[in-house]
Amino acid sequence: MVDLHVNICGVELKNPVIPASGTFGFGREFDELYDISLLGAVATKGLTREPRLGNPTPRIAESRGVILNAVGLQNPGVEHFIEHDLDWLRRKTRVIANVAGATLEDYAAICRRLDGLVDFIELNISCPNVKCGGMAFGIRPEDVKEVTHVSKQALKNTPLIVKLSPNAANISENARAAEAGGADCISLINTLTGMAIDIERRRPVLANNTGGVSGAGIKPVAVRMVYEAAHAVKIPVIGMGGITCAEDALEFLMAGASAVQVGTQNFTDTLACPKIIAGLETWCDGHGVGRVRDLVGALKIN
Amino acid sequence: MRELTAAVLENVRIAENIYSLTFATEEAVPVLPGQFCMVGVAGYPLRRPLAVCKAEGERVTVCYQVKGGGTKSLVGYKQGHRLSVLLPLGNGFSLTPDMKRVAVVGGGVGVFPLISAIRAYAGEREISAYMGFRNRAAVCLRYEMQRADKLVIATDDGSEGYRGTAVQAFMEDIERAKPDVVLSCGPTPMLRALKNAVSGRNIPVYVSLEERMGCGIGACLVCVCDKKDGTHARVCRDGPVFEIGEVEI
Repeated sequence: MVDLHVNICGVELKNPVIPASGTFGFGREFDELYDISLLGAVATKGLTREPRLGNPTPRIAESRGVILNAVGLQNPGVEHFIEHDLDWLRRKTRVIANVAGATLEDYAAICRRLDGLVDFIELNISCPNVKCGGMAFGIRPEDVKEVTHVSKQALKNTPLIVKLSPNAANISENARAAEAGGADCISLINTLTGMAIDIERRRPVLANNTGGVSGAGIKPVAVRMVYEAAHAVKIPVIGMGGITCAEDALEFLMAGASAVQVGTQNFTDTLACPKIIAGLETWCDGHGVGRVRDLVGALKIN
Repeated sequence: MRELTAAVLENVRIAENIYSLTFATEEAVPVLPGQFCMVGVAGYPLRRPLAVCKAEGERVTVCYQVKGGGTKSLVGYKQGHRLSVLLPLGNGFSLTPDMKRVAVVGGGVGVFPLISAIRAYAGEREISAYMGFRNRAAVCLRYEMQRADKLVIATDDGSEGYRGTAVQAFMEDIERAKPDVVLSCGPTPMLRALKNAVSGRNIPVYVSLEERMGCGIGACLVCVCDKKDGTHARVCRDGPVFEIGEVEI
């Protein structure tokens, strides 16, 4: 029987499968369908300092093999999360608090608030920087480094994951920028910016016009970026983007990810994560792999 | 709510672009009137939220309008085809015992969730149903609608029944029907018209809302609606049924 444990920044996960931020709430709804304590960790819905209402609807659209979303960070705020969900979720499994902000001060404040309360903090840096004319923090390497540095300064006890945006000129450069800014780990890819059009109405389907593209169709882009980023830095990498099954997850592990996140597939099949965990076990047992962590970066380039 | 595997028993056209899909789940699941399910379509990442018209033990019937590629694919699902289904979802209609006279006002595909209410309450409460369709070719589920004590079919072009909207038909009959409660589902303009028409009459109105959904279970915050108090409610989880005064329509 394969050992599925992985260790990220000194924190042990019982397996490398993590539902991705925004697709899983704080875990309560999915826990009605299966015991979420079997997951390696849970990445929470993106949290901000204050509650946020998010964007107008429709917030979701579908295109071949992918979906687009523009939820706009609706969340009850970090204090509500700490008061209502954190203890419950911590008793279940490892907690990755996904956080977002509009200014560097926002990031520093929310990191300071959650320091020591969660197992990891994951920075969503795909948000518009209000002081930079709304350009996302995650696009230019100098901004990636700065937001990482400011967040890291606010943390004494909790390892920092920086979630990289694929909407960047050079993913390796941004991975190195996160590492240079003090990131303990990087995760990627966040969604690609896209648009879907309702030709009858001659309007974008999403009320927000554009949204983040995710789902099976983005997987080859994600695998390539994880491979490049993992080979650009020494810190661990969490891979995601279009994972639907254990075989997909294995691609990310071999490309250099120490763990994976599963997002859109939770909508297609609410039992996606447990099935992927079971599938990893079956595959490893069938291939004589004793420890899943031995597959991390096992890729041999042609 | 349960993640279930089901087998298609029947999938038939019942009106222009409208199909009735009956499937059998592995085991009987209790479904309240007004609840819905998410049905997976192979090749599409999002499941389709479909109102349950009828649930009898393991047999569940949903109706759907062919709108895009996903529902077009669903038409091809023949008897025996395996389906992945999340069921039952949402709150559904819930009536108190004193609500003896029930008016049901539906428009277009909004008729589907109301069928489950008519089926649940027929015989034990006095039901008056006002169901609006574009034209005669769009009218479906007559047999189910006729379970109501009184049924008015309304068509926009007058090709069948009352010429006009379901709300107009309802308002013309409201003094006779004297409803203790109104249950409704339909396009937003219809719900707005209903809201205006009954305002000041002090009759509770419950509406079932429709919205594009992600997970269907309340986790992703995709299908929200605006509440009167300035917050958001999740249509899939806190709804789809809301008291009409509670939400912005």
